[in-house]
Parts: sequence; C-alpha cells; structure tokens
Amino acid sequence: MNIYDIIGPVMVGPSSSHTAGAVKIGYVSGKLLGEPVREARILLYGSFLATGVGHGTRKAIIAGLLGMKPDDIRIPESFVLAEERGIRFSFGEAELKEGHPNSAELLLTGETGKTLEIVGESLGGGRINIARIDGIATNFSGDYPTLIVHNLDQPGHVTEVTSMLGHKSVNIATMQLYRRSRGGDAVMVIECDQEVPEDGIRFLTHLEGIQKVTYLSLL
Amino acid sequence: MIYHSIEEIRNQAEEKQVPMWRIIMEKDREERQVSQEETFETMRAMYLAMKQADQAYNGALFSPSGLAGGDGEKLHAYNQTGNSLMGVYPSLVMEKAVKMGESNACMKRIVAAPTAGSCGVIPAVLLAYEELFGENEERMVEALFLSAGIGEVIAENASIAGAAGGCQAEIGSASAMAGAALVYLQGGSNEAITHAVAMALKNMLGLACDPVCGLVEVPCIKRNAAGAVNAVTAAQMALAGIRSAIPADEVVDTMRRIGNEMPVDLKETGEGGLAVTETGKRLRTHFEAENKN
Ligand code: SF4
Repeated sequence: MNIYDIIGPVMVGPSSSHTAGAVKIGYVSGKLLGEPVREARILLYGSFLATGVGHGTRKAIIAGLLGMKPDDIRIPESFVLAEERGIRFSFGEAELKEGHPNSAELLLTGETGKTLEIVGESLGGGRINIARIDGIATNFSGDYPTLIVHNLDQPGHVTEVTSMLGHKSVNIATMQLYRRSRGGDAVMVIECDQEVPEDGIRFLTHLEGIQKVTYLSLL
Repeated sequence: MIYHSIEEIRNQAEEKQVPMWRIIMEKDREERQVSQEETFETMRAMYLAMKQADQAYNGALFSPSGLAGGDGEKLHAYNQTGNSLMGVYPSLVMEKAVKMGESNACMKRIVAAPTAGSCGVIPAVLLAYEELFGENEERMVEALFLSAGIGEVIAENASIAGAAGGCQAEIGSASAMAGAALVYLQGGSNEAITHAVAMALKNMLGLACDPVCGLVEVPCIKRNAAGAVNAVTAAQMALAGIRSAIPADEVVDTMRRIGNEMPVDLKETGEGGLAVTETGKRLRTHFEAENKN
C-alpha cells in the first residue's frame, strides 16, 4: 500500500471491484490468449451476476478483452467497439462450486482458433486473482509478467523451464505447481520480475511433454 | 522516515521544521525509490485527473440503473439563483461532490479517493477552493499529499473499505482527509490539521454501508455531498481554534473498533440498512430480473 493506493487509481466508475477489477480480468485473459479474440462466452457468478448491469461489469470485461485498461474512457462503448471488430460475445450464468463472490468464467477463442478457459476473481480495490486456467486451479494476480506452462506430469519439465529462464536472465518472483492427477496434466505458473523473451517461449513450445505455453506480457 | 500515526507525522514535521505534507512525500520517495520530482508530478497528475473529471460532468447522463444522474445540474441551477442557503464556497463544494459521485455512477473516469464510492469528497473541497480562492496549483498538490498521508494512516490503523468498516471508512475517511487539506490551505497550524481530522471523522463514526441494489448510487452520491460539507465544518471549527476532546489517532482507532462490531449486513453486502427497505427491495427485484436477461 502506498499513497497512490489512497489517492488513485484513476479509473472508470462506478466500482473498483465490479468495474476496474472486471476490466482487468478481461485484459489479463485477452493477454493470456495471446491473439485477438474472435469469440467470447462470459459466465458471471455471485455479485458479478446479481449487480453486473448496474456496475457495467459486462462492458468492463469486454473492454478488457479489447485491450483497454481500467482508466480507458471508451469502456462504456466496449460492446459497439467489439462488434465493429467482428467479435462475437455472449453472457450467461457461471456454475462454479464455492466461487469467490465476484467471479467470471471466460471461454475464449482466438483468431487462429486457439482456445482458453479462465476463471478470474475480483478481490477488491481493482486487484484480481486468476483462479483457474483450462480447468486447473491457479492463483496469480496479473501484476507480473507470468508464464503458464501446461505439461504432462513427468520429471524434468520444471528444470527445463527454470533453466530457460535462468539462461535468459529472468528472475522468478513466485512459482506454483498444480496437477490434475499423478502422471496426468500439470500446470506451472511462474511470476517473473522481467519479461520473458519470445524465443524463450517458442523454445518451450517445442519441447516434448509440454502441451501448451501461455504468457502474460505486461508490455 | 516512517510513520504509523497522525501524531507521528506531526512530530516529525515539527522536528524537521517542514510542513506535514513533506514528511508524507519523503516517505513515499523512500518507499518507492523515486525522485521528489517524480512523486510530485504523479500527485499533480492525480489532481489534474480530478479536475478533468469535474469538467467532464454531463448532467444529461443517467447510470445504467436509472437511479443516478442530473442532480449535480440541479444544485448548479439552484446555486445560480442567488438564493442559496449557504455561502458560495460550501454551495460549490456540494455541487461538485454530487457531480463527481454521479459521474462515477455513469461510468465516467474518476480518481478513487480513497475509493470510487467516495470519489467526490476530496476533489469537491479542493477544486472549489482553487476556483474561488485563486490558490496556485503547487499548493493544491501539497494539500493532496497531506490528504493522502492521513488516508494512509487511516488505512493502516482502521480501514478505507466499506466492506471492512462500513461507510464511515469510505465517506468518513475521505471527509477527514479533505478537512486536513482545507486547514493546510487556509494556513492553519499542524495542531489544527490533526483536530480537523479528528472532528471530521468523529461526525461520521458509525455510518453504515448499505447501498441499494448493491450499486454505488443510493445513498453513496448524496453522502459525498454530506462528507464534503462535513470536511468544511470540521476545518472551520479547527481554524477557529476549537479542539477535539479526543485526539485524531484515537478517533481512527474508534472507527476500527466500531467497524469490527458492525454486523456484516451493514458492510457493503446490500443486505441491510437502506438496501432492505420496502423500496430498496422492490428496486432490487426489478434489477435482478434485468441482470439475468
Ligand atoms: S454506502 Fe458503501 S458503497 Fe456507498 S459510498 Fe458508503 S461505503 Fe461506499
């Protein structure tokens, strides 16, 4: 907490959790998809569902998907802007088990057909948590460059990833490992102090046993 | 340089013989490792964003719920009649506070200060002051540093979130922060500044957070007007030499205790207070149906 958490942020209203946080969920999700969105199905949960219209939550999520930040004055016009870009989007009710009261589930398809499923939670004050990616539980804020690697749960993959980062002089801030079952699908979420260079990410996608690499760049 | 109470800010300022806002700016410089110019310009950007937001008010806009909009324009018209109950300054403060609250509800760009719900209090008090008293911008930015530091202490020792401490934590904190800024601008002593904080906050203790339909509209917008005028009240008393029997830091502590004792339905859940009145419930049923479509 510093004085600009007290006076600030500059944001489009009305609510830091239901508007600014929702923009950020959309923004981070769009970045994670890594290509322009072609289709988005957005499922709302809890208070996002109950009060979303009044708070502009739906417009906020779409604005974020279009790459807008929480202080972008075009947020209220995001539906029109998305339609102009030919993006198909729809809304529904999320069926989460014990989700955070301000949650949204985003089912995204990109221009090349790449898909991504994300659950984002708005924690208050504009801060968010990405709670699930492609069905596997995660836990990160989107405040750091973040590398997400889906791999088979086999020995050696963590070393491959961390040595690549070391080689590229990228320092790891936090690292989390998740898996669905022993020997099944696993996910690494690595928050970094520096941006990961593109060739490093490309290198990972070519490794055996690595199924998908997603990267959140803050640039 | 580090402080955890309003008294510590004051003591350090007096030890170093600098204004309180400087202690606050120095702490930020150290914490974030930035130059004096950098932090001063960041704070100036916040002030200018407030000014922009004030100018961007549009009295023809209504919030998506239809519950908010147009009232700032009404106050403006009334203030122009020459029949205003209050003097020019508090009249303009009220008008600007309502306008900012409405802009927030209408999805316009605002500066959270300390929150989006309470975003009207500090800009109303400051912008009206600059406009009517012709103060220079540097001093306005200094006053905003002072508000920020007071808010920082309140956030650390109590809360600035309605969900944690009720509306006393949002409108109450904003009012205390604004009161301090006003005393500074009027050339009041450090002692007077701390007492304005104490008095402004005391007047807001116990205020529940009970937004109708869970939206930042009713009662939030009008409470911005009340919080802003309360800041003027507290500053006026402090400048006149009136002192709070309870010192500022103890009032902040009281706010925390009251917040903890407050039932959850009065802390931004939309499940208590005004939100569950007959009218509040009717509006809610109406909006929930609209939300599902
Ligand atoms: S009633 Fe609640 S939401 Fe409204 S301004 Fe007060 S604290 Fe914020």
